[in-house]
Amino acid sequence: MKLPILPTSVVGSYSMPGWLERLKTEYFARRISRHDLDEIHDNAVKAAIKDQETAGVDVISDGELRRDNMMDYFLERLPGVQIDRSSKKFYYDFYNCSVQGKLPMAPLGLAGDFQFLRSFTDREAKFCVTGPHALTKRIHNEFYPSEEALAMDLARVLNLELKELVKAGARIIQIDEPYYSGFPDDIAWCVNTLNTMVEGVDAKIVVHICYGNRYGKPSWEGTYRYLFPRILEAKVHQLTLEFARRGGEDLDLFREFKPPFELGVGVIDVKTQAVETADMVAERVRKALEFVPAERVSVLPDCGCFHLPRDIAFAKLCAMVEGTRLVRKELGQ
Amino acid sequence: MATLQSMLEEGHLEQEQFANLCVHLDWIQYKQNFREAVAVIPCAGELAGGLPIFEVHVDLRQIAPGALRAELLRAMAPANPGFGHHSPVNEERVLLEEYRPFRASIAWRFNHLYWQRLADWEKFTGRGYEEALPGGRSDANHPLAVADGVADFWTLVRDLDVKKQLPAEIFVLEIGVGMGTRAGLWLDRFHKLDQERGTNYYPRVRFLLGDYSPATLERSKAAVLPHMEQCSFVVLDALNPIQTLSFLRHKIQHIHLTNVYDNLPDEEMARRDGRLYLVEVRAYLHTADAERIAGDFEMSTRDLGRCIERLLEAGPEHFGDRTRGISFWQQVWAAMRLDERLVCVDDLRAEAMPGELDHARLEETLRDAPSDVRFHLNSGALESFRNTLPLLATRGYMQVQDIFVTHWSEFQLGFHGPGKLDGSIVNWVNGMLLRETAERAGYDVHFAPFRYRDGSRTSMLYTTQRE
Repeated sequence: MKLPILPTSVVGSYSMPGWLERLKTEYFARRISRHDLDEIHDNAVKAAIKDQETAGVDVISDGELRRDNMMDYFLERLPGVQIDRSSKKFYYDFYNCSVQGKLPMAPLGLAGDFQFLRSFTDREAKFCVTGPHALTKRIHNEFYPSEEALAMDLARVLNLELKELVKAGARIIQIDEPYYSGFPDDIAWCVNTLNTMVEGVDAKIVVHICYGNRYGKPSWEGTYRYLFPRILEAKVHQLTLEFARRGGEDLDLFREFKPPFELGVGVIDVKTQAVETADMVAERVRKALEFVPAERVSVLPDCGCFHLPRDIAFAKLCAMVEGTRLVRKELGQ
Repeated sequence: MATLQSMLEEGHLEQEQFANLCVHLDWIQYKQNFREAVAVIPCAGELAGGLPIFEVHVDLRQIAPGALRAELLRAMAPANPGFGHHSPVNEERVLLEEYRPFRASIAWRFNHLYWQRLADWEKFTGRGYEEALPGGRSDANHPLAVADGVADFWTLVRDLDVKKQLPAEIFVLEIGVGMGTRAGLWLDRFHKLDQERGTNYYPRVRFLLGDYSPATLERSKAAVLPHMEQCSFVVLDALNPIQTLSFLRHKIQHIHLTNVYDNLPDEEMARRDGRLYLVEVRAYLHTADAERIAGDFEMSTRDLGRCIERLLEAGPEHFGDRTRGISFWQQVWAAMRLDERLVCVDDLRAEAMPGELDHARLEETLRDAPSDVRFHLNSGALESFRNTLPLLATRGYMQVQDIFVTHWSEFQLGFHGPGKLDGSIVNWVNGMLLRETAERAGYDVHFAPFRYRDGSRTSMLYTTQRE
């Protein structure tokens, strides 16, 4: 599937409707069945696909609407992770969980989610997976000698999962690592686990690193400088970073270090409901092009649209697409 | 009980009414409020599948010994017009409005006038606002409490600094600054602590004093005079701080409010027999009071409504002589009462629910509440809270000192307003709904009693980041 220059995409999650929130909580209260919830999820995902297509996004996701949050969906599928299912009041809360022995090596079984997405769109599809560093931070480690050791085994399990996704037809896989920015010193070992996770995976690998988006607010402050130069050793194809909310100062790092990978530039601030204009988006894209050639730039929101109301999320995606078109025209495309 | 039993035997109460009677004895009461000593609260409209509930509220502070029976008969007369009582309620009263949710009542326009013209009111009464508080002073300004709060804040700042996450400017916001006393104490203490510990954070502090009254902000300047370099004075609507301060989204490290939420527009609801009801109100004056006031100000009772309207629009100057205008204002305010009725929420359109609340969310929140409970929605406080949280920086926290209800069962144990505090309205604040709002915004909410003054009814809400 040939993509245009400056392809537009999403970071993964789409707006979570209030009614779906309530139904998920109903499920946890055992008032609706798993079968009904699955059907509800299917319909919500179809609607998210349609919205992204209508907005004109080039590379779309399933909106991650089946997921309670970006952690639990993976943790409860990881063999060997003990989940305290009583520890959750609201569906979006995190489970308390622990690892008490070596993790068995088995995939998570997410290929079905990808196949569902694939079967309902002709667009290029991206599948998003939470990375080993973020998962490690949510697990109470009672077995491994270090966080790094736990993360490495998680990376091995996730590597099996990525290969299953590729077998199911996934060609673009995004790894989400929002906790890097909260634990910048970990970058020393994070790149090793990242490389283990993607080893032998025949797909375009995107890594998304932001400053957190839990409850629609940032979890950390700082700059992306901590990533460099270590991140240059990552065997990935694209780094997707947030710039809309934080401003474009860190773009200079791409000129300074000349990374071998593409840049996914965040041009939509997902932490405010104010909808950007196409001109604002165009200006942010132009700014990125001062540092990275257009052939190596993708255009995305800063992070997932999970916390935005649907009409706002949709309007923001439309602005993103329209703003990108303006720049494409200027480039003669 | 004996009084009620005798009223039943004498035919003042029907058997069915007696069977469905719900009597509330309010032990905790504001000295000044909007209620009669005994009030019957009817239920508007027809209810499918049952008799309308029949509620009687008795204010035990107002009721004189031996007067209960007479007061009960007076209050119940409109509910039982066939029992030979000839006191149709509207003939005893001069109505100032039709039934409506409390938030839309004329009472709040009086409250607004009070804050806009506080200096006039204080001059007329000869005492400051804080002197009208139950303790005679605001708990906000307790030096030890302020010192502890500053110490906590310094620890946060230090921690951020160690983690290299401290921004160049350290923003602090106080909403509803009053005389600025707390802000002044806070800055004095922070400056001193910073000097003692040699950390040099003070010059980086940007203290925003926020209030919706420019006159109040002007008055607050004197209290922070030594810290003017650090201070900004911001006129803002407490209901929507983010609207004014959107450029500080996720940038403020600490936000403080004292006794602001208890004075923001409010509605009340009740759950009876599994149904939700909105409490609607209607402001009125007793005809005797209306005639007395009209006589004092040389007008007819018919002109009273128009004069009140002009007072609320133009202020006491409408009367030419400002002192006379304030006197009129105070007399009307003191005499104002509120009728109440219950309207089943099923009969209301969905948009009648305040803020972002909808029935489903409210029902969900009420799952831990007693089956029969009347409670404050504090829609103004919820709105304010929801529109303030986005200002908090990543590790920032909010501290709200107020009169909170922190368990649903407390609503069963007393009357929590609305009361009259000088010329303003005061309500207890529904902590459970604030907690729910905060959780959805990514914060856990904790309540701690105010331990610095014996007998204080205020407690402290503080937020911590939710994982």
